[in-house]
Amino acid sequence: MKLYYVLAVALALSPSFSNAVYGADAAPDSMTGAQKAALQKTIDTCATCHGVNGRSVAPTFPNLAAQTAPYLEAQLHAFKDQSRADPDAQAYMWGMASQLSDPTISALAAYFASQPAAAGRPGSPALVAEGKHLFEEGFPAKQIPPCASCHGANAQGMSIFPRLAGQHAPYLLKQLLVIQSALRTAPVMHGVVKDLTRQQMDAVVAYLESI
Amino acid sequence: MPLMRPIKTWTGWVAFPAIVLLCCMAAPSRAVPSFARQTGMACAACHTVFPELTPFGREFKLNGYVLDNMKQVSGIDTSANQTLSLNSIPPLSLMLQVSYTRTKQPLPDSAVSGALAKNGDLLFPQQTSFFYAGKIADGLGAFVQLTYDGAGDHFGFDNTDVRYAHHWAFGGTDGNDHSLIVGLTLNNNPTVQDPWNTTPAWGFPYAGSSTAPGAITSAKIDSGAGGFGQSVGGLGVYAWLDSHFYAEITGYTSAITGGSHPLDSTQANVVHAFAPYWRVAYEQRWDRHSLEIGAYGLTAHDQPGNGKPLSGPTDKYRDAALDAQYQFIGEDHLFTVLATYIDERQTLDASVADVLAANVDNDLKTIKLTGEYYYKRKIGGSVGYFSTTGSSDPLLYAAAAVIGSANFSPDTAGYVAEVNYMPWLNVKLQLQHTGYSKFNGGKTNYDGTGRAASDNDTTYLLVWLNY
Repeated sequence: MKLYYVLAVALALSPSFSNAVYGADAAPDSMTGAQKAALQKTIDTCATCHGVNGRSVAPTFPNLAAQTAPYLEAQLHAFKDQSRADPDAQAYMWGMASQLSDPTISALAAYFASQPAAAGRPGSPALVAEGKHLFEEGFPAKQIPPCASCHGANAQGMSIFPRLAGQHAPYLLKQLLVIQSALRTAPVMHGVVKDLTRQQMDAVVAYLESI
Repeated sequence: MPLMRPIKTWTGWVAFPAIVLLCCMAAPSRAVPSFARQTGMACAACHTVFPELTPFGREFKLNGYVLDNMKQVSGIDTSANQTLSLNSIPPLSLMLQVSYTRTKQPLPDSAVSGALAKNGDLLFPQQTSFFYAGKIADGLGAFVQLTYDGAGDHFGFDNTDVRYAHHWAFGGTDGNDHSLIVGLTLNNNPTVQDPWNTTPAWGFPYAGSSTAPGAITSAKIDSGAGGFGQSVGGLGVYAWLDSHFYAEITGYTSAITGGSHPLDSTQANVVHAFAPYWRVAYEQRWDRHSLEIGAYGLTAHDQPGNGKPLSGPTDKYRDAALDAQYQFIGEDHLFTVLATYIDERQTLDASVADVLAANVDNDLKTIKLTGEYYYKRKIGGSVGYFSTTGSSDPLLYAAAAVIGSANFSPDTAGYVAEVNYMPWLNVKLQLQHTGYSKFNGGKTNYDGTGRAASDNDTTYLLVWLNY
């Protein structure tokens, strides 16, 4: 797609650019108009599903705003090399990511990481409380560790471990299910979710959506 | 709409050759794997079950069919401006429809008086189409369909929509809070450019028999190949703001293929000057739901031609319609409700002058209401109610066996129920039943030869392949 190539070429020609963290509003002064335009077009393409500024409407499509850049980058590479192969990844993202260059992937990850997070949406208080407990304490009886130990005390994410706070509950639930059934490969998570019950999943995703 | 084939005016007296004529009108067709090849996305991204579009499918269409994840053949000039951006593999695909139609009572033989035609008609193919559907250049894309029609034994230009779209983001602190797409569409069938499935070109039923009898008339905008479909060309402009507000205005004029050119008295139903088409809609999306409400319309002045010079009085058709669409797209369960109401006012100065219609002023009201359900996009079905009511006219809706009306009324109503099985996302096996409670103004002996509306009830089997 033209915009990817333009962006890729633009980034390749700009050695100082690859580590830049910016949004379209904070694009480096060194960016040419064409580079900014190419970046904006790529972001527009993502926004078709992931929403303006990475805050999506439909729960099929995760919020990207404030997601950790290393996680976003890793996922885009996993879509591109088809190692992330759950049904929606194949249906939507394999195609979308197929022509992304490495610098483009870095630029997109940096852009969405810098966007303000989506606001949480309240859920059933009982479910949210149960989920909060599970998130913070885990479930020692089944050797399920606290989610917070990797995803952060406020589920804000840590490096390669994704932000979960404010994410659509149906999206999170689907990820737990496809990781449990090994449709989505996630080495650390396979052990964690092995014995997670549906009730526990419903609770923890309700909590995460609410914060 | 294949099940309600229009027969305007004088054809009522022509009887059975007209049925054969009706069979020559190709059903519209859709859902193109070349889009999947171009985008790298599965059909399910853009379609609930083809040809119905998801919210993402609507965005893809309104963005000009250009979303692309293919290697490009590209070129630039010395100022580094892009001069070419072409898919390295053309976005082509093929569609095959094989169908079997059986009506409750057989139809009369087209040549031998008193004899009956074979009841049970296999069309192999009913239709085969070739598509170029995808990007042409940056911002410019096309849906082009060439169709071989089995019953008509002819190959011709079918639905075509070429569009250019430009996207702007603006507002907010980082200039990204609003999104506006403005586009141009060049197409040959009013509503083929529409992104919802409530408007006629992509409305329910998505496929139907091309050989079963159809109702005597339908609204101009709802007549497909019997009206403006593939015999007009239109250029329009549309805007899509924040994935909520849609507005479009397109002007159509005749673009009749074959026959004498420039158009003259040997052609029929030639559009006088331009026929404006307009469309407004609002869509709200939340969670897995989307709801659209809108309105659309068309005003056309027709020169009947067909032996008469293309001058003097015209027939005016003023169609105004309301529509609504609801979709729920869950992991396992998918629901859709489609509704449209079309109000048509006809002012038939030309037809009255030519003794083809008795009343200058006629009206026609069309209601279509459809509910659909699918389980995992694998198996499901639809039930649709349709109704056409209008003023009686002894010349426009004349008496004739099977296709005419004994009481000169166009009133037709009934249901379409279908079960679909989709072993793969691009393959549909369909069993459809159409039942009529009223046909051309009557329930029993509607045509004056003793035929009942229910005698036209149609069972239709379809194998529909897209690849």
